[in-house]
Amino acid sequence: MPPIIDIRKCKPCGLCAQICPTDVFARVNPKAVPEIRYPEECWHCNSCVLDCPQSAITLRIPLPAMMLHVDAEGGT
Amino acid sequence: MLEIDPEVIQTDVLVVGGGIAGLMASIAAAQAGASVVLAEKANTRRSGCGATGNDHFLCYCPPAHGPDMEPILKEVRNSQVSGFHDPSLTVRFLEQTFDRVQDWHAWGIDMRPHGDWEFAGHAFPGRPRVWLKYAGHNQKPALTQQAKKQGVRIENHLPIVDIIVREGRVVGALGLNVESDTPVLKVIRAKSVVLATGSGNRIYPSYASPGWMFNIAQCPSCTGSAQSMAFRAGAKLVNMEFPARHAGPKFFNRCGKATWIGMIKDPHGRPVGPFVTQANRWVGDITADVWPAVFTEMTDNGTGPTYMDCTGTSAEDLDYMKWGLENEGNTGMLNYMAGEGIDFRRHMVEFMQYEPFLVGRGVEIDKDAATHVPGLFAAGDPVGNFRADIAGAAVFGWIAGQSAATTAGQIKTFVDTETDPLVAARRDLFSEFMNRKNGPDWKEANLTVQQVMNGYAGLKSRSETLLNAGFKYLMDLKSKILKTVCADNAHTLMRCVEVLEMIDCGEVIFRTALERKETRAMHHRTDFPFTNPLLAEKFLTIRRENDKVILEWRDKF
Repeated sequence: MPPIIDIRKCKPCGLCAQICPTDVFARVNPKAVPEIRYPEECWHCNSCVLDCPQSAITLRIPLPAMMLHVDAEGGT
Repeated sequence: MLEIDPEVIQTDVLVVGGGIAGLMASIAAAQAGASVVLAEKANTRRSGCGATGNDHFLCYCPPAHGPDMEPILKEVRNSQVSGFHDPSLTVRFLEQTFDRVQDWHAWGIDMRPHGDWEFAGHAFPGRPRVWLKYAGHNQKPALTQQAKKQGVRIENHLPIVDIIVREGRVVGALGLNVESDTPVLKVIRAKSVVLATGSGNRIYPSYASPGWMFNIAQCPSCTGSAQSMAFRAGAKLVNMEFPARHAGPKFFNRCGKATWIGMIKDPHGRPVGPFVTQANRWVGDITADVWPAVFTEMTDNGTGPTYMDCTGTSAEDLDYMKWGLENEGNTGMLNYMAGEGIDFRRHMVEFMQYEPFLVGRGVEIDKDAATHVPGLFAAGDPVGNFRADIAGAAVFGWIAGQSAATTAGQIKTFVDTETDPLVAARRDLFSEFMNRKNGPDWKEANLTVQQVMNGYAGLKSRSETLLNAGFKYLMDLKSKILKTVCADNAHTLMRCVEVLEMIDCGEVIFRTALERKETRAMHHRTDFPFTNPLLAEKFLTIRRENDKVILEWRDKF
């Protein structure tokens, strides 16, 4: 489920929980690795990935958002 | 019982929503000398549809376009954003766009990242280009910093749930503090209020993934709050009967189709539109603007799917496009594509038309961004008679902030909003939601709103019988939700409030769709399948006066 926090890299600052536009993270304990409480409410906007000072966050895009594509004939 | 914070906020100007319009309104009002509180549902650094950026800003730029605004005005009037403008607002907007562009540049948002003022995208070959290409990846942090510099008090995680009106004028608002798990009501006294809560989403199901509610192109936290609060406060809404839709990559729902530099093609690799044979950074394939239904229609008639094909685009223009998509805020999508091995040089990406949402449908404003209710202003996406996306939010946000400061300056005293009966009524209702057990949660409620809206005020057929039935079902649903919905913390209570806002928007959509007895744009009445020329120069407004709902036709201004 998006997002995924690498607990080895996270130095709990709570920034991701503060800035998430859709309130995916719980903000209960600012000293702990944030809990991803509402993963289905992730909008895949990448704010947490962009702002994490430790680069500890990645997104896993859920299957329903798979990007449909085909090989183009003229592709290189 | 839900707590009401004993500390009441008192401010000249309250700005509701900290997106582009809200931040600009705050900065303008503070610069004009008003005390300003900005209440934001999430955090202004990264909230709303412009959270992670934008790369195109509609602008009349005298150094690039020359001294005559007329050709630019003409181009804007023919564009995909201007279908429901009051013409005088378009003029007011264009006159001020370049001032706002220069402000942003001075505040650290690079508005000419390649040296000159550069106009690209959403453009026809041989015609003036009106979208300024800019590096907006940092627009929210930069505007937040500027607001703080001007002394704006930013209250994050404080969605506003009601506007408080006394004797016909705005005197404050009620907020719901969702900073911690325990929700707390927050009363605000204000001399004027600017509504800037962004677009209205989650009212219709995600057409890409009906089972994954938040897979939508626009910010899912923007749920039509301004339209709902304005309507309840007695302000006029306009153009609510017209569905608005975006298009973009299929299943990975994202805005920014004009940032893609490629050709719209059928499954055999043939272009579907007549405008260009080769897309470049200045002029892409504008077919998707002119005929956005192409993606739906070619699927419905079996000739699709329809693709965005960037494989014929030059390497330099592909780099330019990737730079644009990063600034547009689409790094999440680019990271995903890299991880999946989806390559602009090799693959065609299927595009689709997304579900209806509210943008440029909503609160009626005049040229000073004032609503029909004294002391209440609105700007940005929830405005119903003007739309220019980021640029519209920037310019009318600024105008709204100035107007709100002027109005506040004329009012001597504050009103004790904390004693307003609305505060106690909301406390009682929200406390009930929190105390209930075993009822439906907000998700059930939200999904059912989507079912009713899509089933009875959808795109394919609207008619008197269908709309009347749907309206009844929506009101049935509303009473069930009020009686049974459960919340267990601040977050889920906030989501319940959002659902109630969507229902208000839905009510307005049903009422106005019933009143518009013709087919126009995406409002498709099967019982009135023609477009009535007598309505071409008119808009339909709706407002509430006490318990009465008043629908009125007016001339465009």
